[in-house]
Amino acid sequence: MGERPENRVDRIVNDLLRGRRLRLRGGDAEEKEAITAAARLIAAGQGSQRMHPAFRKRLAEALESAPKGGWLTRRAAMVAGFGVAAGAVTGGLIARALEPAAPATPNPGGRQVNPIPGRWVDVGALADFAEGQGKRVTAGAVGAYLFRRGSTVSAVSAMCSHLPCELNWNGGNGVLDCPCHPASFTPDGAPTNLAYPLPHLDLVSVRVTDAGRVEVLGT
Amino acid sequence: MSTERGSREEGPEAEGTGDVLELPAASRTTAIALDELELVYAFIYARVGNRPDAEDLTQQVAMKAIPRLRQGAPASAIRGYLFATARSVLGAFWSTRLGLSEAELHEDLAMAIPAGPPSEEPAERARRILDGLSDNYRRVLELRFLHGYSLKEVAAEMRSTVGAVKVMQLRALRAAAKVRLDG
Repeated sequence: MGERPENRVDRIVNDLLRGRRLRLRGGDAEEKEAITAAARLIAAGQGSQRMHPAFRKRLAEALESAPKGGWLTRRAAMVAGFGVAAGAVTGGLIARALEPAAPATPNPGGRQVNPIPGRWVDVGALADFAEGQGKRVTAGAVGAYLFRRGSTVSAVSAMCSHLPCELNWNGGNGVLDCPCHPASFTPDGAPTNLAYPLPHLDLVSVRVTDAGRVEVLGT
Repeated sequence: MSTERGSREEGPEAEGTGDVLELPAASRTTAIALDELELVYAFIYARVGNRPDAEDLTQQVAMKAIPRLRQGAPASAIRGYLFATARSVLGAFWSTRLGLSEAELHEDLAMAIPAGPPSEEPAERARRILDGLSDNYRRVLELRFLHGYSLKEVAAEMRSTVGAVKVMQLRALRAAAKVRLDG
């Protein structure tokens, strides 16, 4: 059963009253007017806001150290302390990018999901899976996106590798989008923004039986 | 009066609260940019209602604006560019967080985002919102948002139940969304 609208909005109000980020879930858009009104009202109730001195200092350093001339390259943006590609992303990515010692390259490959005890769960006939289109399936406690390529099927976890949010299949761009922050992943689970490396999506075991059924290793 | 704001989440730079700003031989351009970015920060904060998101979005605006800042444009031109960028960044922010296309958000954003910095104090803005509401709606939002009351405290104050207050809060926010703040 879905979250009641009043509970949905109160959860967000509580977060905002505690100074937390806006953490929205699927379905919150139904109350977008109330949510944006809450954010504006809370801000109004807090009076004029100025940048925190440490934040202002970091901005100043980044402005001063940015390469001269032309638009920033993604690498230069990271060196300058901003950590993300110019205009490429929004939200919490930047804050995370400011953390020291970010890896230079994305983690190659994801961890294999090996539920214990695991069992093969039938998730449909191969013919039910459209070529190259992500399909969300559930195998007990394991949620996955499956991708058919001819007679084979691959699977990645339906959970973002960065925030604990369920991914959405974006058929137009052919990627899995995270609804909680601006991150997306290829059907193989690789992050699409190489300038800010996120871990690879976890890999889910999947097989096609002789009878043409698709099975996922779940619980 | 109790408050729920005491447990404020620490932002990305909780350290250095008392930092004195020391610019690394800051150029005049940087100094101007920082002053303008203060306005951008306030503008963004007024729409997202929290510091972590406001800082992230302000950083994005600054990043996008660096080349313009380097061109030695006058402050007025810089401001125009920064606020145009801020509108774009805010649009992308709400679109991403709500999982809606920017086209679907267009109407809301047009209402929420003015063409420049706000010309009135936040308290005045809050008052304008509340004045546009019925007594009950105004009261629940005043207690909850301006005084930081918990739902239970609001219910006690209004001689109601937590469940009823929660529903009233939702309806009051929907009504508040229809009150034009800008323009």
